[in-house]
Amino acid sequence: MNAKANFNLSRRQVLIGSGSLALAALFAPNAIVSAMAKAGLVYVPNSGKWVGTTCNGCTSFCAKQVYIQDGRALNIRGNEFSKVHGKASCPRQYLALQELYDPDRVRTPMLRTNPEKGRGIDPEFKPISWKEAISLIADKIMELREKEETHRYVSLRGRYSYLSDLLIKNFTTVVGSPNAISHSALCAEADKLGSYFTEGNWGYRQYDIKDTRYILSFGVDPLSANRQVSYYCSEWGNTLDKAQVAIVDPRFSASCAKADEWVPIMPGQDGAMSLALAHQILVNGGWYRPFVGDFIDGNNRFIEGQEVDPTSFEEIHTHGLVQWWNLALKDYTPDWAAAKCGIDAEQIRRIAGKLIDAAPRVQIWRSRGSQMQHRGAYAAIGMHALNGLLGSIDQEGGVLKWASVPMAKMPSAKKYLDEIAKKGLKHEKIDRRGRLEFPALKKGKSGGGVVTNAVATSILEADPYLPAFVLGYHNNFSFSAPGGLRWEKALKKVEFVAHITTNISEFSWYSDLILPAPHYMFERWGIQKTAGNRYTQVSITQPVIKPLGDVVEDECGVPWLIAEELAKRGFENPLNYIRSEFKDPETGKAPTSPQEVAKYATKILTQPFWDPAKYKEGDHIGGWEEFVEKGVWNSKPYAFRKRWGHMKTATKKFEFYSETMKVALEKHAKKHHTDTDGVMEATGYAARGELAFMAHYEEPLRYGDLETYPLLFVDHKSRLSREGRSANSMWFQQNLDIDPGARKHADVAKLNPIDAKQLGVSEGDSIRITSTQGSIDCQAALFEGVRPGTVAKAFGQGHWAYGRVAARDFGKEALGGNNNEILPPAYEHLSGSSAFYGQIGIRVEKI
Amino acid sequence: MRYGMVIDQQKCVGCSGCVFACKAENHTTDDINWCDKIITTSGQYPDVKFEYVSTMCNHCDNAPCVGACPTQAMHKGEGGLTLHDPDKCIGCKACMVNCPYGVISFNWEKPHERWLVDTGVAAGSFTSATMLMAAGGEGSPHSNPESAEAYPSVRSRGTVEKCNFCVHRLKAGLSPACVDACPSRARVVGDLDDPASEVSQLIRKYEGKPLRAELGTGAKVFYIRSYTPERRT
Repeated sequence: MNAKANFNLSRRQVLIGSGSLALAALFAPNAIVSAMAKAGLVYVPNSGKWVGTTCNGCTSFCAKQVYIQDGRALNIRGNEFSKVHGKASCPRQYLALQELYDPDRVRTPMLRTNPEKGRGIDPEFKPISWKEAISLIADKIMELREKEETHRYVSLRGRYSYLSDLLIKNFTTVVGSPNAISHSALCAEADKLGSYFTEGNWGYRQYDIKDTRYILSFGVDPLSANRQVSYYCSEWGNTLDKAQVAIVDPRFSASCAKADEWVPIMPGQDGAMSLALAHQILVNGGWYRPFVGDFIDGNNRFIEGQEVDPTSFEEIHTHGLVQWWNLALKDYTPDWAAAKCGIDAEQIRRIAGKLIDAAPRVQIWRSRGSQMQHRGAYAAIGMHALNGLLGSIDQEGGVLKWASVPMAKMPSAKKYLDEIAKKGLKHEKIDRRGRLEFPALKKGKSGGGVVTNAVATSILEADPYLPAFVLGYHNNFSFSAPGGLRWEKALKKVEFVAHITTNISEFSWYSDLILPAPHYMFERWGIQKTAGNRYTQVSITQPVIKPLGDVVEDECGVPWLIAEELAKRGFENPLNYIRSEFKDPETGKAPTSPQEVAKYATKILTQPFWDPAKYKEGDHIGGWEEFVEKGVWNSKPYAFRKRWGHMKTATKKFEFYSETMKVALEKHAKKHHTDTDGVMEATGYAARGELAFMAHYEEPLRYGDLETYPLLFVDHKSRLSREGRSANSMWFQQNLDIDPGARKHADVAKLNPIDAKQLGVSEGDSIRITSTQGSIDCQAALFEGVRPGTVAKAFGQGHWAYGRVAARDFGKEALGGNNNEILPPAYEHLSGSSAFYGQIGIRVEKI
Repeated sequence: MRYGMVIDQQKCVGCSGCVFACKAENHTTDDINWCDKIITTSGQYPDVKFEYVSTMCNHCDNAPCVGACPTQAMHKGEGGLTLHDPDKCIGCKACMVNCPYGVISFNWEKPHERWLVDTGVAAGSFTSATMLMAAGGEGSPHSNPESAEAYPSVRSRGTVEKCNFCVHRLKAGLSPACVDACPSRARVVGDLDDPASEVSQLIRKYEGKPLRAELGTGAKVFYIRSYTPERRT
């Protein structure tokens, strides 16, 4: 209770007082209130402070300002200094307030006292001090060093900032483990693959919706999820004045409600539709000539089923169009696709016509769902190739790359490696990346990416080896990874598991040690990047309130504390690394506390943005203090067409025939003494020969036979889910109905009434969904917005831990069911992505 | 001077940012939303329509709730706002019965009681009570001392409550919280008596209508354009 609350200002007095003024003056600050405010007697609205930070609730990573009044965070808005989204925001930001003040948050480090691990078995955590907790960790690391088994230390990264390279990557390296494992393959690596093997961009895209004329989205629900939700929410209504929108999705999403056309495709068949569109665009002569080129004599020879002489076509900024046509596209007619997609050929032709009319001011969006499928890589490439055909790459109203930004690099730890560490680093990584079946071709490099979900299998099979110490950080893989129960079993097998977390999650439940994490928006330093509106921005997270509970900066502070303890045990390299490499770039002072390491690391990485002496481009910022005050730096606007002819592909062009893919696959094949057909076979693709280097049709792999599992499951994002972390918020539970077809305070599976009738299921019934992987129980919601034969369900509910709002009975019983318990641990192997989507067969029973 | 609001349904993306901004500003309980929504799903597969209509007190010129209130707790204030004085409220719910929009809520329980709970999920976790103590705040950590200047932050059990257009913010020259929070700038507040105000211009340009205009309550929240784009297929 604060002193001001003791002042009993009658509300009526305020009203009477203001009533004596002219009514028109109501929009101006009230003189009486102003006078009282000066005297410190009332809280004048907006007399608090807006402080810059960043939201980490989803991959939009919006720059924010948090409203601080009375030492508390009371409100949030988009950061007014952001050129990406300005003050615009999304509903999820508010749930961060409830995460911050969550009564179930971890307050202090805790140690398990019950050695028996299992769901429903109380770990009997007891509070311990940070000193005890860090000593325990240091002892475990020293044990591994003594045995020269440092590779058996594994760090797992969940939601993170750019500072995480210290805790996860470099600290892990200095200790001597190759196992810094990111969550990225649960996120969207297959998406990056699509743009990498066409235009050399292993990254995400921004969409110039202000100047577009046609948006075709394969599964993206930009008003709910994907990147830069705030910006797209802010502009969508205006875009509808100028552009048409078609959304391809088995489920009617929030964005479908604001689109001209919903295309309820059969799950797993996005690739087929994109190929038919490409076919039709060519047959209709609708490709964008200034980008793609033309037949030398100007006569269109793309005729259904007929091969074309490659010498008759002269490409400009693209490569391999005719080969693509001859080997694949010529037979992919709309009629061919219609049967697979469940979409009329006429509708496909009509959409092709609209794309042609609007090109190059068109944009093809692709979601996780359309490409994170077992055979999704070629769908990703095919959908993106449409942007190439229509010439929308880097065009006004088209699809733009994120601008590269001059962020400084995390100081290297290489010179701090001793012999034990070097030996440890030589071991195979625990996630099996680079094996024949896991090419994980990040940026074309065999084993360059991560295969996050394979770690559980590696632990269970002790192949390549059994980890001895797993440190998880802001991750909850037993909840967020397909086949989540495997993680619960795997964690039981590991001798020592430590978890840095805000809440006791389904991962923490199997941990031996819990370390309280600061909230990643309000209580720590961090750095994020996002793009939209032609700008790329870098924003910082900073402590905006006094942290709640006994928390330590996680990404930088925890490694510092461990390093101090290791130094006491005679292993000084980690401390030397941090102390020497993370000095304040302004004063040269070495860090002396966890907070200082975090702050200095933030300053080092962002120095090109705030230090005038290191200025390169974009916003001019006068110094660190100003940067902290603003919280965000903006790039210059993205330059159109600059990459035409200079793409980072093998040919420098946009590749319909991916020479870049050919090089990557051949290198991977050579490593395993096979050919590219061998790689295709090992990764579950049907293509052989040159088809592997271009978009082509792959029959979706169906999990579960048609008879036992007659329906298909469609996993999707809820508008209010902060990557599964907001379910312990009452505001979340009470407003879930904003997702089309969803219900408040319930975990629903949405069934088309046609299917429901056949199953004898009514609205609100308890149902059991069973796949080849397992079963979950939830509630049925009857909804016309799901394709008959499919069942759609949002990720985010089904917690049995995390808190007393999220779980029906904390530690024991889930509120609804977690989708990842029925999703098989499938992969899109070429990228290493987990495959949450495609054709996941299920059956539904009333219980 | 008559405060009114315009909501542009084409710009609205149904995100409910207004709902949460209102909760944060006015410290409503988990179950009560001053700013709420009507969601309708219609049509048959594949011709489905989903519409989101943001709702709140319409501050009617001829407010049925004011007429029905036996104690003048519900009353008309300056700027044509319909305001509520909880000190006078006897909880008879006549206002709720008479409100054709269903935007008045009743406190059946003592608000924010869950924040008194002093048990946690583990020995090293917070409890509601310890979190409230650590964070501060009246009733819950989300209480806002600024809105408490105009309306009690923690309401009494057995009284009603509803949107007051953030009268405390209007007095300070600010827009209601829901208006500032809207990411798509779909909401505009202003003076309906001033033909040059943005609200008046928008209502004229797009023939804005309040909900259930036929009732003649003189509702002052107007809706323009359509949530669903014309199907231009």
